[in-house]
Amino acid sequence: MVGFVLRRILGSLVTLLLLASIAFFAVNLLLPYDFAVGVGQRPGAIAFIREQLGLDRPLWVRWLDYLWHLVRGDLGTSFTGASVAGLVWGVLPVTVAIFAVGGIVAYLLGEWFGRWVAWSRSRLLKGASSTASVLAFTAFPPWLVFLLLFFVAEPLYRFRSFFGLAPIPARAHPGDILLVVLAVGLVAALVAGVLLRGWARRGDHRVLAATAFPGCLTLLAGILAASGLWGETVDRLLWPSALMATAALVVIAFGESMLVMRAGVSAELSEDYVFTARAKGLPGRLIRDRHVARNAVLPVISRLITSVPYLISGLIIIERQLSLEGVASLFFRAIEAADVPVILGILVVVGLVGLALRIVLDAVEAILDPRVRIEGRAR
Amino acid sequence: MSQSPPVYHISGWRDTRRRVLRNKMVIAGLMILGFFAVLSFIHPVLQATVWSSRQSVYRPETGHDPTISNPSGPALAHPLGTDSLGRDVLSLVTYGLRPSFMVAVATALSAGVIGTLAGTSAAFFRGRYDRLMSHVADAFVLLPPPLIFLIASKRGLLGAFELGLLYGLFFGLGPAAVVVRSRSLAVMEKPFIEAARCAGGSPRWIITHHVLPDVLPHTAVVVLAGVVGALITQGFVEFLGIGEYRYGLGTLVYNALAYGMSLGTRAPWSSLLAGALSISLLAASFYLISAGLREVNDPRGGERRV
Repeated sequence: MVGFVLRRILGSLVTLLLLASIAFFAVNLLLPYDFAVGVGQRPGAIAFIREQLGLDRPLWVRWLDYLWHLVRGDLGTSFTGASVAGLVWGVLPVTVAIFAVGGIVAYLLGEWFGRWVAWSRSRLLKGASSTASVLAFTAFPPWLVFLLLFFVAEPLYRFRSFFGLAPIPARAHPGDILLVVLAVGLVAALVAGVLLRGWARRGDHRVLAATAFPGCLTLLAGILAASGLWGETVDRLLWPSALMATAALVVIAFGESMLVMRAGVSAELSEDYVFTARAKGLPGRLIRDRHVARNAVLPVISRLITSVPYLISGLIIIERQLSLEGVASLFFRAIEAADVPVILGILVVVGLVGLALRIVLDAVEAILDPRVRIEGRAR
Repeated sequence: MSQSPPVYHISGWRDTRRRVLRNKMVIAGLMILGFFAVLSFIHPVLQATVWSSRQSVYRPETGHDPTISNPSGPALAHPLGTDSLGRDVLSLVTYGLRPSFMVAVATALSAGVIGTLAGTSAAFFRGRYDRLMSHVADAFVLLPPPLIFLIASKRGLLGAFELGLLYGLFFGLGPAAVVVRSRSLAVMEKPFIEAARCAGGSPRWIITHHVLPDVLPHTAVVVLAGVVGALITQGFVEFLGIGEYRYGLGTLVYNALAYGMSLGTRAPWSSLLAGALSISLLAASFYLISAGLREVNDPRGGERRV
């Protein structure tokens, strides 16, 4: 198992270097002008700035230089002088928190709905859910954001003022430590909820399965309340634009996971083991949750994880629409200024997130499916 | 001379066509697509016939209807209403559909061709080349084409077609190549390929007559799903108006939101809905065809006994 993961990580390093190279050439060749033109006016000044930033060197020298820095874990320096890693790290918590919470909620909703629709075998439900999920999946993000602003924003602000909070969290800015803590805590609580619920279902502890999520979230709330940061946490949790971005992401990611789950459950329903379980007299709920759903869940997870780069770009579009201070603001500012190292840094970090999640997925598959494990060893 | 019995002819393509056309999702997708295709060509026809008396009113970007107060809701003279500047929304939609179709066609073409070439060649040559191509495909899978599309549209020199080709390049070398490669590998293991080899089939014959017909439907599924992303990104680029100004469905949405607010009127719902739903439905039509084809490709098809 350890060898399997190690080999995967080594292979991923090669992939990462390739990704960085492709991104390097794509960005350098596609951007219409370089940073110096945007800053300096006179030809002498432009040449001077180019020399300062090392832009006068040939492309391949800059490429090797970039890779050399990347191998040592250095994302380089922005043309404005700031460290790219610092800039990305500053905006990452907001985006990652929204992405993780939205992704997990979309997965849970999709899993639940897909299972329910496939299990009910109602053709009307099937048609309605297909239509709804295709429309959700292909929704034009600015339109979605407009709908949210039109219908949800007003009640959200009223809700905040009901608690005596200012319309916008006072100190929810990039690099806010509490935001990082909150992001990590929320993701940890949700993942713990998923794992605990799965374990409870396997052992058929019905009460535990039903209370896994509320329990984990209450535990998180309890820890935060005990640390005396409760008021500030609520302030950040009820951040209107972050909540709306999460909702929009859930809408976009939900459709796909619902369809995959539904197809998986429908296919499993015609398997012989379901027939046997019925003949044995097992209650339907047990067949559905313990046997069918567990076999159908893996494709849903893998589809979600392989579409991570697409979901992140969708989230960047949504963030830009809500003018949220996340990765989107950094990305669009960098494009505007042709700040190549920052654009590259964002692309590499997005790739890293996708890569890391895929290694986790491979490990999970290897644990769940002995065929993959043994084949991996034989190779 | 006695009459010869009718030749029993099995055509894989005819059988496939029958199964494809029996799928409801494919039919729904094709109908939406056909509707929009007709809509994108209909403007000159309408100008020559129905609108011939007031052609200047219905010009897509410069038209203005002075006889009514704008923005207006749907009416007989303007089936989708007019926007805040008094332009006919239907003619705006028909013109805005053109760049979207360009992007869709360009993406499908380049992603299909590049994905098929990269995937089948990797499966055919195997060995070191295959390992290299797998790593390259992995890298491309992790690079989101929408972000590259956004960066490239900043250039302003690239039209809708070129941007679509670029999107297709990144999509074709990534997800499409992965799917095509794994599918071709599976086909090449099958006994009928070995039988064709024994019967003296050349590599070219085997690839074009045995491997490609099996791989192409699966390529179509991924490529059409990729077109969805390209269409939505194109709409967003038009919405942002980055790069050179070009008219599109995204512009329609932007104008509806921006002018509606700046002129103090309420957002003109008819033009907002027309723009946003056109992008959505056009993308949905490609997604529906892709999902339907995926169902057809899977011979088990979910609809077995029980």
